[in-house]
Amino acid sequence: MWEWWRKNRPLLLGGILLLGALLWYSVNLRQQDETSFMESLVLRATGPVQAAFDRVIMGVADIWGHYLYLVETAEDNLSLVEENRSLQALLTQSDEVRLENARLRLLLDFKEAQEMATLPARVVAEDASSWFRTVMIDKGSDDNVTEGLPVVVAEGVVGRVVRSSPHFSRVLLITDASSAVASLLQDNRARGVCRGQGEQLVFDFVLRQEEVKIGDRVVTSGMGGVFPKGLVIGSVESIDRREFGLFQSIEVTPAVDFTHLEEVLVLLRSPQ
Amino acid sequence: MNRTLVYLALAGIAIILQTLLLPLVLPGDSKPDLLLVLVIYLGLHEGPWRGGLLVYLLGWGYDGMAGTFPGLNGFVMLGIFLAVRGIVSRVNTESSPLLLLLVAVGTVLQTVMAAFALDFFSQTARIWPQMALQLPFQLLLNFLAALVLLRVSVWLQRTFMPHRNLPGLRKLDSRYES
Repeated sequence: MWEWWRKNRPLLLGGILLLGALLWYSVNLRQQDETSFMESLVLRATGPVQAAFDRVIMGVADIWGHYLYLVETAEDNLSLVEENRSLQALLTQSDEVRLENARLRLLLDFKEAQEMATLPARVVAEDASSWFRTVMIDKGSDDNVTEGLPVVVAEGVVGRVVRSSPHFSRVLLITDASSAVASLLQDNRARGVCRGQGEQLVFDFVLRQEEVKIGDRVVTSGMGGVFPKGLVIGSVESIDRREFGLFQSIEVTPAVDFTHLEEVLVLLRSPQ
Repeated sequence: MNRTLVYLALAGIAIILQTLLLPLVLPGDSKPDLLLVLVIYLGLHEGPWRGGLLVYLLGWGYDGMAGTFPGLNGFVMLGIFLAVRGIVSRVNTESSPLLLLLVAVGTVLQTVMAAFALDFFSQTARIWPQMALQLPFQLLLNFLAALVLLRVSVWLQRTFMPHRNLPGLRKLDSRYES
């Protein structure tokens, strides 16, 4: 017996450790909707660092895009490039201001159209893994941002807050596989659930007899208790109405371009 | 203690790269898993207790930055670490190509373990088809990232610590090639 134990000890101990880790993960799934101590600690520790790095990286990218790339033309005509460079700097600066202005104006228009209090926030980091779709924003529980609050931009729904620490929060995007939003088709009011599928969404549980057209707009139904009614989710990309079964299979393209997410609005109050 | 701090610093750099820099330069949402490379390196060169504890801690930290499933990466990273520890006495840990091979195998194991933990234990929708679709690209990204990391590590070691060896990097160093 002792010999057997000595021979198989590494395997057994490894198995026990792994099983323990799996059980601990399973237990933690029950508190999945709350921010755990460890997660709060990670957000508190990494948030400021990531926000600082984000500013540095954006600054470097800005310098690279607006200045360094022009160095090649200096070989052709140095004096002209010098003049061009200063003009370009002014132009790109004003372009950047104009674009930012347009984005903020859109957000402002949207903010004024909302009946609930909103809080602008900046996206400072993306999800560390390739499987999940979350982003970190620079507002947290000190700004009244708590788990479950919806996050939007002028184009439509972004996601909801899933983790919150005093100064930073994490937002689960609607394209994540664990996201499900109660939705309806704007034209014929057919109800369903929009689930994330990476870059696309699938609109589940729409009955086969419902008339759905490509390009139809999908909006939130307000039934899930997270998102207010009528926020744009996306438009129908493809429809597969099978010969059998209760439901049709619908793919939806999100209205929001998640690859260029910079500023968002957190809706602070639950829908009335 | 110093080594542990170095590993934690490396993990921090990996997280910064994965959350900030790499999304800017890589198309889509895929990014190499640099932490996986670190976990495999730890499996090859650290003892089971110290390495296992560190890997589990790194996994938990990773969960704070990825997804919404606390403990998932702790379980997955520990599994990969133990799998590497299981073969470490049968292989030449000084071989860098072995590290590259293990990164490829580790990527597959990571996907399988995460898909199992998510699809069997959580209430989330089926995620394994997405993961399976993403696996070839993820394999390529992780492999290339590991190759670049090894080259950079050897260059750094030659430049700044010419009289010291980094375990596991000898076969990529041309001074040792015949």
